[in-house]
Amino acid sequence: MLGQRASTLLRRSPVWVAVVLLYVVAAIVSPAMLKPAQMLNILQVTAFLGLVATGQTLALLTGGIDLSVAGVVTMTNIIATSVMLGQDSRILPAVLCCLVAGAVVGIVNGILIAVLRVAPIIATLAMNSILFGAALVFTGGAPHGAAAGAFNVIGQGSAFGLPASAICWIVITLGVAFAMRRTTFGRWVYAVGANETAARLMGVPTRSVLVAAYALSATLAVLGGLLITAYVGNPSLGIGNQFLLTSVVAVVVGGTALTGGIGSVTATIAGALFVTELTSFTNVAQVSTGAQYVIQGVLIALSVVAYRMIGSRGTA
Amino acid sequence: MTHSNIDRRTALRLGLGASAAGLFVATGGLALADAISSAKIDGSPEMAKGVQKSGKLRIGFSNGFSGNTWRTECLTSMQSEAKANADKYDLIVVDGQGDISKQVNDIEDLISQNVDALLCIPNSSTAVVPALRKATRAGIPTIPFNLPVEGENWTAFIGTDPKRKGATTGKALNGFLGGKGKIVALGGLPGNSYTADCWAGAQTQFGPGIEVLAFKDASWQEDKAKVVMADLIAAYPEIDGIWCDGGQDAAGALKALIAANRPLVPATGDDYNGLFKLYDAEKEKNPKFKIGCVSEPSWEGVVALRTAVKLLSGQDVPKRQIIDPILIDGSNYQQFMKKDLPDGVFVDTLLTDEELKKLFS
Repeated sequence: MLGQRASTLLRRSPVWVAVVLLYVVAAIVSPAMLKPAQMLNILQVTAFLGLVATGQTLALLTGGIDLSVAGVVTMTNIIATSVMLGQDSRILPAVLCCLVAGAVVGIVNGILIAVLRVAPIIATLAMNSILFGAALVFTGGAPHGAAAGAFNVIGQGSAFGLPASAICWIVITLGVAFAMRRTTFGRWVYAVGANETAARLMGVPTRSVLVAAYALSATLAVLGGLLITAYVGNPSLGIGNQFLLTSVVAVVVGGTALTGGIGSVTATIAGALFVTELTSFTNVAQVSTGAQYVIQGVLIALSVVAYRMIGSRGTA
Repeated sequence: MTHSNIDRRTALRLGLGASAAGLFVATGGLALADAISSAKIDGSPEMAKGVQKSGKLRIGFSNGFSGNTWRTECLTSMQSEAKANADKYDLIVVDGQGDISKQVNDIEDLISQNVDALLCIPNSSTAVVPALRKATRAGIPTIPFNLPVEGENWTAFIGTDPKRKGATTGKALNGFLGGKGKIVALGGLPGNSYTADCWAGAQTQFGPGIEVLAFKDASWQEDKAKVVMADLIAAYPEIDGIWCDGGQDAAGALKALIAANRPLVPATGDDYNGLFKLYDAEKEKNPKFKIGCVSEPSWEGVVALRTAVKLLSGQDVPKRQIIDPILIDGSNYQQFMKKDLPDGVFVDTLLTDEELKKLFS
């Protein structure tokens, strides 16, 4: 009975089981992981990756990938700090500039992919390179400015006993999850990812759906970039790099298929938690950076294999 | 081995008076004298032979990559030095864009352009060796600086000694803690040899009472250091000191302590303005907070240029010029801190505040 329930849970949302299991293992190895302060710390830090990965989920669901998220995060950090200049009165224009820039990047990605039929991995990788180069040119290698004190609250403050960044992340992600489940647009994204030709024949405006998906992906990366900017308060040209790989890892560990059409935004919440938990655990347990990379790589491969096995058992 | 001390700007300093450091309003020339004159550079007894060349010179500089703040400051100060000497030489800069093989091609291009001297900051300490040897064979003096090049197939080197820098900050941290306490260490990019050498130097200075809880990579980025430190804070109830080879690591780690409502502890770093500003703002509230920093002077490139000019005028120069690490701590940080400039500025620079403002805008 209990075993059956456990196996249902494992099949429906294996990543949540993995999140809990990893935490248990981590806590056994290092009891410090059980401190409430450390749990809140993990939630606070996951928020940045979580938002970027939510956007990445949309790209993967359409059967594509968005490797420009790293550049978008860096661009956001640079624009936000250079427009804000540490002044509270300039928060609104700074945030608006970032959102507009993000939307433009996403729409250009979408047009390259949907209209000009450039492979998503190439289009977004090229965009990533352009954005990083633009950040270098814009700053001349010497970024200036700073985030405003009032703005930093969303990255460093807390509300209702929870980190403000985590609240932003969960609320926004649940909103996206709802849209994916309950709106026509959401169903279209899944349809395009499952079979673009079939979707088009059924009357789905596939091009617009792709453009919208990449625009949303970039916008969510902007939001993630704003959160990490509020967390650190300073510009940094290398700030986005970490998201290039980890955003894809979080989505894949969450069970979204790289082939498109299969997966969910809520599972990516767990995927992002898993990745951050793992980094945090390896930090606390004194694992070297090299070993961290190896573990991360092994887990990507393992999770894809595991999902395939679970998937085939489920349909059998 | 004896090291002869070469005071870079003795003449200028005598002219200005010794008390001038850090007091006068900086104009270009004065600031120039100030930063280099207060430094000591150890020249090796082994000398490199000069070659007399006449006419207007062309000096090539193969920059391994550009784009971070330090490189930008370094390149800008080299360009203003070249501008001030526009009658004597032209500076030709090529950018390797972080690519090892592109830099080798860059150097070969400079050789075929027949430059009179060749400066470089190598992307790889080994990959540039054959190219520099080729330059030497073509009669072009080669002057790598900032990062070392393997072997001896170059003319003169200018830089710092990471081991000695690490020993200086390590000694300072050991002193702050009275030789007893639990510390964490944060380094730069994973696997980089600079951090490894600094850390090796630091460890030689720790008393037996210093316990190293953890050594982590933080990529010289505030955000990474803050995230890593937040984990370390959870893992270790007592952290008495933070050793870092970069000021961004220290600033990020200290901000994590602030976020966790823990009192600030002694930390080490380099000449990252953000760390000095943080120390200035927080030292009153945190009696245990101390800093011990050693800079990586962004005027190394200017010394390299002057060395090239010397060699080309037929003078001999020391084969190795190693800049002495000078400790920046609570007693002298105000001479370096630039309160009105961004955190990202590396303050041991020849650039004036005006030039820096222009650069960081």
